[in-house]
Amino acid sequence: MAEKITAYRFDRLDQTLSQLNKENCSIIAGGTDVMVLHKSRRGVPPKIPNPVIFIDHLSELKRVYQNQKDLHIGACCTYSELLEDPLIPLPLKNAIKTIAAPAIRNRGTLGGNICNASPAGDTLPLLYVYNAKLLLRSVNGDRVVAISDFIQGVRRVGRQHNEILVEIILPSVLEEGSHVVFEKVGNRNADAIAKVGFAGLIRVNDSRVEDVRFAFGAVGPTMVRSVDIEKKLLGKPIPLADSDVAEVVAAFDKIIRPIDDQRSTAIYRKKVALNLLRYFLSSKQYQPN
Amino acid sequence: MNLKDISTSVPKKDHSGKVSGQLAYISDVKVENMVYGVLVRSPIAYGKIKSIQLPNFPEGYEAVGAEQIPGPNVVKIIQEDQPIFANEWVNYIGEPILMLVGKELDILYRLLNEVKIEFDELQAIYTLDDAIQQKSAPGVTMASYEFGENLDVISTIEQGAHKIIEEEYSTGYQEHVYLEPQGMLGIYKDDEIVVQGSMQCLYYIKNALISALACGDDEVRVVQSPTGGGFGGKEEFPSMMACHVAVAANAVKKSVMLVFDRSEDMVVTTKRHPAKIKYRTAIDEEGNILSMCVDVFLDGGANAGLSSVVLQRALLNSAGVYKIPHFHAKGYVLKTNTVPNGAFRGFGAPQSFAGIESHIGHISKLSKLDPLDYKRKYLVKQGDPTITKGQFRDPILMEDMIEDLLNASDFKSKKGEFQRFNQQNLRYKKGIGTSLFLHGCGFTGSGERDHIKATVKLVKSRDDKVLLKISNSDMGQGIYTTLSKIVAQALDLPFDRVLYPDPDTKEVPDSGPTVASRTTMIVGKLLERAAKKLKAQWQPGVEQEVVENYVHREMIPWDEKTFTGDAYPAYSWGVNIVEVEVDTLTGNVKLEKVYANYEVGKVIDDRIMKGQIDGGLAQGLAYGYLEKMTSKEGRIQQKSISDYGPPTSMDVVSIESKVFDNPYADGPYGAKGAGELTLIGGAPAVQAAIEDALQTSFQQIPITPEVIIESL
Amino acid sequence: MIKFTLNGRLVETDAPPTARLLDLIRDEFTLIGTKEGCGEGECGACSVFVNNHLQNSCLIPIGSIDGTDVITIEGIMESEQFKILDESYSSAGGVQCGYCIPGMVMASAALLSKNPHPSEAEIREGISGNLCRCTGYNMIVDAINLAAKKGDGLWQKK
Repeated sequence: MAEKITAYRFDRLDQTLSQLNKENCSIIAGGTDVMVLHKSRRGVPPKIPNPVIFIDHLSELKRVYQNQKDLHIGACCTYSELLEDPLIPLPLKNAIKTIAAPAIRNRGTLGGNICNASPAGDTLPLLYVYNAKLLLRSVNGDRVVAISDFIQGVRRVGRQHNEILVEIILPSVLEEGSHVVFEKVGNRNADAIAKVGFAGLIRVNDSRVEDVRFAFGAVGPTMVRSVDIEKKLLGKPIPLADSDVAEVVAAFDKIIRPIDDQRSTAIYRKKVALNLLRYFLSSKQYQPN
Repeated sequence: MNLKDISTSVPKKDHSGKVSGQLAYISDVKVENMVYGVLVRSPIAYGKIKSIQLPNFPEGYEAVGAEQIPGPNVVKIIQEDQPIFANEWVNYIGEPILMLVGKELDILYRLLNEVKIEFDELQAIYTLDDAIQQKSAPGVTMASYEFGENLDVISTIEQGAHKIIEEEYSTGYQEHVYLEPQGMLGIYKDDEIVVQGSMQCLYYIKNALISALACGDDEVRVVQSPTGGGFGGKEEFPSMMACHVAVAANAVKKSVMLVFDRSEDMVVTTKRHPAKIKYRTAIDEEGNILSMCVDVFLDGGANAGLSSVVLQRALLNSAGVYKIPHFHAKGYVLKTNTVPNGAFRGFGAPQSFAGIESHIGHISKLSKLDPLDYKRKYLVKQGDPTITKGQFRDPILMEDMIEDLLNASDFKSKKGEFQRFNQQNLRYKKGIGTSLFLHGCGFTGSGERDHIKATVKLVKSRDDKVLLKISNSDMGQGIYTTLSKIVAQALDLPFDRVLYPDPDTKEVPDSGPTVASRTTMIVGKLLERAAKKLKAQWQPGVEQEVVENYVHREMIPWDEKTFTGDAYPAYSWGVNIVEVEVDTLTGNVKLEKVYANYEVGKVIDDRIMKGQIDGGLAQGLAYGYLEKMTSKEGRIQQKSISDYGPPTSMDVVSIESKVFDNPYADGPYGAKGAGELTLIGGAPAVQAAIEDALQTSFQQIPITPEVIIESL
Repeated sequence: MIKFTLNGRLVETDAPPTARLLDLIRDEFTLIGTKEGCGEGECGACSVFVNNHLQNSCLIPIGSIDGTDVITIEGIMESEQFKILDESYSSAGGVQCGYCIPGMVMASAALLSKNPHPSEAEIREGISGNLCRCTGYNMIVDAINLAAKKGDGLWQKK
């Protein structure tokens, strides 16, 4: 018969952390990625490396709150919960609405989307432009890392085995004045995996660029973002000159290196990523949202 | 039942069990002494098996292969080129070599990984283009036909022509994605093997089993389970699965269940044939067509299967709904070392209609006429000859249907409106396109008379209920309801007194397969006649039985060798208009509005017809721009539903449709076929709409965002 | 030992915690209305409610449902709401092959209980995780629309 599977489901986060400190476990939040990743064929449980530890029920991981201008989102909030939460910014809600379909959104979590570290993770481009920070907790205490440092490669993150992602912090996100755009390009209007993802943020002050950020999804092993390229636009007048737009597009042309796979082609991905960037930059005016 | 109009909808016979989920599909069934089967499949595309090394099996587990087949190692379809278990050559990745059987699936999956097979791998043919290059090599051409105007005559015409237009058009795979994956159960009994499962063609399976088991007619029995969608995917493919479970059940003396995983189903089952179609058309200075040559190449995959018949239908539809002067066509089915292609709703016609509608649309641009006006110039009329020297005998309502749809869609003002929109909008472009199409109902040529020879039976019980005894499957298209309704109406009997039990070959004669838009028209007509006969001899409280056999309509005899004569007894017709919006940054296409008019003789049930229209169009539209399947070195790349991308509820829009009455004398209450027709116009209309939006032309479907972005 | 409520009845199982809820429902509790169409959360044929939320039972390891309330199509079959959906699906012609339908009915009920007067776009979104290959969805959208009207006042009742 099948081997014995060890699994934990503690009532509290501290118990969970203390177990993680004792042994390396597969962490299951909503499970919508893990169950597919380790799927067996029909009629047989998935082969998830065990022991497994369930965390999606932990109330400590399900809070959303404001701390000054920062927004803190519990890692195990499901997408549906976030859609109903008044604190969640509209662009993030729009990004969440493009994820799969209601049943998955009722189960999948924001923390799961990050820790799964798929190159096509739907919320990731937006979290990158929000400069999201991640609060990781272990029995030894807390640490905060930038999302771009945490995600290191395809399905590879900088989580110590005794740590849990507790909160996603969106710094200053509740500040007025930024214009944020999110576009997911999939093969159909629901239940699609992104072929290209794009997020752009711009803040204009006195008709000049005060802050600007972009990130691209599904065009490389991790999200593509370049602070150096973004800096070139600071202080430029709005609407941006064609030459400024062209320079930024050319710079991304050099660093975006997508692949061919069963969903799309490298040529398409690159061209569409640059199209969306160019379109974003060429906008005549930016309304804060 | 006494409906003033037969088309008035009635509740579906099988509604309750389906809506509550309590109707048992094959994967819901468990029988005594049942084990599971899993298939060891070829990991290579082409080669010879050198050796097979089996692991040590735990007790109760064993392997079944070619040696256990009592009869010839062939799945009986048309040609004898498809082994039940490959034991010498393998011809595609995924070809079954052995079946492992046993009680627990997880043990079977482990054992699968432990089977070691050595091959001598040989150079495979992976693509249709490679096969076209090598078409004269032995074994590559699996079928070919040629007919039409003498090529010398065409050559003379071409010399005098203003211009010769050459186009090469290609179409991709289409996967059925029936919601219920393929499944088959072989039930072992002392005196018979019962095969039960998801299927469209009981007697195809029964004949395949009699051959495989080398047994008598009464030693095998085929029972249809509720079938969760077919679309052609459960036409010939289940014959192989039935042989697998029957041979295994016979060998291990247990009942054997084989149910596919979705990814397995997507990778190894038949698909719509990818095609390449070459057009060579001579035109004069005004853009009038002088002659046309069409060459059709179908990628058959590794086995012939039904491909020759698919090619016939592709060729018979190669001129679309047009009367083209000096028309010549030839076609080939070519072998590649890829998953075999087979039946899919439309059966060769969707490829041809996508191609011809596209080509004629492109030629029209040279004549300075609107594509639709140009097409109408060539539209066939009643009495016109077909391209095979048959005749369009019955009234054709296409002109009325087109005019009506132009009004319904407000076509003319939309054109202007979209032009203005497109001038102002840099990112999004709108377009509107049309398609005109037909579908030949029933088997090609003399198939009904010479091969199928359908028989139907009605049995009246002592309590005056009437049972339909026929071998046709309800796979969702609603024949439990429509055929029962025909009988109830003819007998003037309440609908609930007419019963249609799940077909079982022990109980029903061979009324033919559930394919080719034949069921309502051919089987329905036989049932109508049987019911009238029963009515004439009705004796209350007495058990009675009537049998009715197929009678062929008087036509110009079909000659398959010369490809001449009446290819079909009757045709159903359609017109589609589609509006799209294209995102020029991403190439994504959004359907905005869909309009459709059809003529299917007489509708048997309005609601069921609407279901066929909406479902068929959703598949047909998606075939044109959404669904994309590719094969790389013999391996299907899209193994999940989302990677392949059939439409979700958010991709489809509501469809405004109308059906025109034009009763057909040889159909029940005037009905002709409807199920396949509704798919055919989707792709060409969506292509025309995308071309209109972007003011460009494409030579392929699906027109994916990748194709669009490359064109911009 | 995992304990949870299944269609209102407290049940327990010693199946492995990584086993799929789908298999547990079908094999151990022999409830066949929950179908398997893809096993990857892409078709919705296995839709159930967990704590009143629509979920794909093929993606749920049973270890995570300890103490929760699981409802399958069998658990709503006797309800007034189901009766309305049944009639609406019948009169709108929403059922063809039937394989997606139990899941579709679950998605319909979930949508209407959250949003008793959905727009067409909201209906389409509500069933966007439930693949149907026969109907092209429109007659299912009609059915849900009809059910919303026929069952007005009923949807948010427990």
